[in-house]
Amino acid sequence: MIFHSADFIVFFVVVVALYWCLPHRGQNALLLVASYVFYGYVHPWFLILIASSTTIDYVSARGMERWPARRRGFMALSIATNFGMLGFFKYFDFFVENAQAALGALGLHPGLPALRIVLPVGISFYTFQAMSYTVDVYRGELRARRSLVDVAVFISFFPHLVAGPIQRASFLLPQVETPRRFSTERATTGLSLMVWGYFKKLVIADNVGVIANKVFAIADPSFEMLWAGVFAFAIQIYADFSAYTDIARGSSRWLGFELTENFDHPYLARSPSDFWRRWNISLSTWFRDYVYIPLGGSRATGARWVRNVLVTFVLSGLWHGARWNYVLWGLYHGLLLVATRAHQILREPVRSGIGPQSSGIGYRLSDAACIVGMFGLTLVGWLLFRETDLHAIARDLALSPWRSSTLDRQAGLYLFLLALGYSVPLWVQSVWVESQRSRERTAGVPARPSDGWGAAILRCVACGAAFAAILALRSRTSLDFIYFQF
Amino acid sequence: MKGAHLLLAGAGLLLLPFGLRAANYLHPSANLQPSYLPALEGPRPRAAFDAEPISNLRILDPGWILIGDSMAGTRIDPDLFTQLSSQRIAPLLYAGSGSAWWYLVLKNWVIPSGTRPRAVFIFFRDTNLTDVLFRIDAAWALDTAALAGEDDLNAVVARRRGTRFYQGTETLDALYAAPQVRRWLGPLVDEWPARAMIPYRRPRAQFLERLNTRLGLTHLRPMDAADMQETEDREADFDAFVDKSALPLMLRDARRAGLRLCFVRVRRRPEGGRPPYQSRALQRYVSRLRDYLLQGGAGFVDDTGDPVQELSWYEDGDHLSRDGRRRYTELFVSRLGYRIR
Repeated sequence: MIFHSADFIVFFVVVVALYWCLPHRGQNALLLVASYVFYGYVHPWFLILIASSTTIDYVSARGMERWPARRRGFMALSIATNFGMLGFFKYFDFFVENAQAALGALGLHPGLPALRIVLPVGISFYTFQAMSYTVDVYRGELRARRSLVDVAVFISFFPHLVAGPIQRASFLLPQVETPRRFSTERATTGLSLMVWGYFKKLVIADNVGVIANKVFAIADPSFEMLWAGVFAFAIQIYADFSAYTDIARGSSRWLGFELTENFDHPYLARSPSDFWRRWNISLSTWFRDYVYIPLGGSRATGARWVRNVLVTFVLSGLWHGARWNYVLWGLYHGLLLVATRAHQILREPVRSGIGPQSSGIGYRLSDAACIVGMFGLTLVGWLLFRETDLHAIARDLALSPWRSSTLDRQAGLYLFLLALGYSVPLWVQSVWVESQRSRERTAGVPARPSDGWGAAILRCVACGAAFAAILALRSRTSLDFIYFQF
Repeated sequence: MKGAHLLLAGAGLLLLPFGLRAANYLHPSANLQPSYLPALEGPRPRAAFDAEPISNLRILDPGWILIGDSMAGTRIDPDLFTQLSSQRIAPLLYAGSGSAWWYLVLKNWVIPSGTRPRAVFIFFRDTNLTDVLFRIDAAWALDTAALAGEDDLNAVVARRRGTRFYQGTETLDALYAAPQVRRWLGPLVDEWPARAMIPYRRPRAQFLERLNTRLGLTHLRPMDAADMQETEDREADFDAFVDKSALPLMLRDARRAGLRLCFVRVRRRPEGGRPPYQSRALQRYVSRLRDYLLQGGAGFVDDTGDPVQELSWYEDGDHLSRDGRRRYTELFVSRLGYRIR
């Protein structure tokens, strides 16, 4: 089931209405049933996978606690099951294609089978979430849960099941286990988040997605058109993915849950490391905690540290999909991080404390330059991400503005302005939030949460305006959420 | 107090969009003529009906008429067809068209022309014939072949769209008069960069036209131009969709006009050395379609299993290459007798 369908709205209203009539255990049972209905709505056979993964992780975690001497074996079982399923469904054909090509280069043509398997939606997300549970139990950071229903709800919780944010067991499981009470405050902020999410998806992401798709469909883009298309894609992927997160977080609040934030205005990042603290936060922290730090993390120096960074980013790229361009994208971001940290090209942002440099005009100018520079570097990354054909990537990077015709230049400017126009609400929101933070830093105290009538009226107007915009400006072309494919 | 905030947010959400109705009153171009497909869309400006193909058909008096999209366009070479069959051919082929368009072409062009070809061939892929909504959502997609009112087609479209999703969105749209807003606001939003860049109307219109060409079919990457339409199993349910499609209308109108229809299911691109993949649902669908067409007095040809049409004939996606087109035309004409039997 997808968020932007009438089916989901009906489903959600029914679930919320029933949910608050039930006692705690009944709520969890309902959540499990609802999550499985949500996930198996189009392809019921997907449920076999998530149910198997859940059962094996539950048994493995219990086994680790009960027979500590055999915890390695149980951990291996959990890893083999989760990554086995992920590898089979997501990477099997990729492996076969590349093996075929490699053998072909050696003059061998074995005719390896390619499978026609639909990639189960969200498998990368729930696999990583399930793994975080067993790994934390293995490390002794979390106790294994007795209730299979609670573990199953944690893994399959429908608001974030298909495209995250990936929740840690230590954060979400206690919420599953604790009785919840309906909070009108949470419901109000949840409603606002959901409306804002729908606005971002239907008005911004789908409209600029059409621009990006047009540009990436043409065989001979000019320099200006290509980068206008990359800009449109940058807006699309941020609006699309953050919209999913907002709808997930908003709908969770209606059910009494709080999910972690996944985005923190990433296009205002000042450096690559800052970008990864702001973009897909749940995935970056997963890789940090379960790949980068176990490899040695920042404690390692020199070549080992570089290796740790590159391995982490390449795996993160591969997580997105079984294509070489995703590997290239991960590698690019790893190299960016290594290069900028090594040479201090882009400054780390001031996140705490008040410094005289943080308010001067010189500081602001250099801060703005860092933001623009980092955004430019991010765009290069999005080109690698969006362009699936490696030859096309090489061709795109070789384009020069000097060879463009007048029409091409005008076309590039037109497409850029069009995408920019749709993205204005995103930029306004990001700049507003950042300026609030800056003010807080200058004042030295956090701003008081705005819960008065003024804020309530503002929220009322914003919700109405966003809904009106959805009605009047939603794209004719309804695109799937981009991260569904991962 | 918090409950009041929630109520206020909900009220804002539901009541403020009524401002769209007010905006329509203020905007003069919101008052437009109703569409010939009110089940699909609200009032909008439309391109005029094109009557020229009717007179062209009368003059040509073809022995064969072909209707379809680029599948037929990249398969049939009209000159070669005429030369090999010794009879004139009228190719009514439009790239990016679908079954609603094919029905209108038959009803409003072919039948009124009074021409009596030996057969009217309609080319299609997989489930196209029972998907009336396929390629009719673009504005003006059907205008030049549609009359002022298309009640039969509208009824079919209404049945097809009679799902909860469409009912829900249409109720909301009607409540807030959103389609009318979209008609005048859409162009304003899409064209503002052009207005900012080129202040004068004529050069701006020329720029937008050239931009459309620049992003058009001739500049597309081969596989994007190919339109590798995927057939989903949920579409491959013949009995569920046939009465919500234009297919019964085509058969009925052709029968009344005494025209012989023959439907040609083209062969999708083979994969490696194997025939194109067909799910079980699709195989069942095609079997039901065959029975239905034969009972309805039409012919049915399925190229899918034809081993002669090999991968080397294809260019991009399901389109054939120039050489493949020549070979297909020769093959098609050589089997004409069999095809119209």
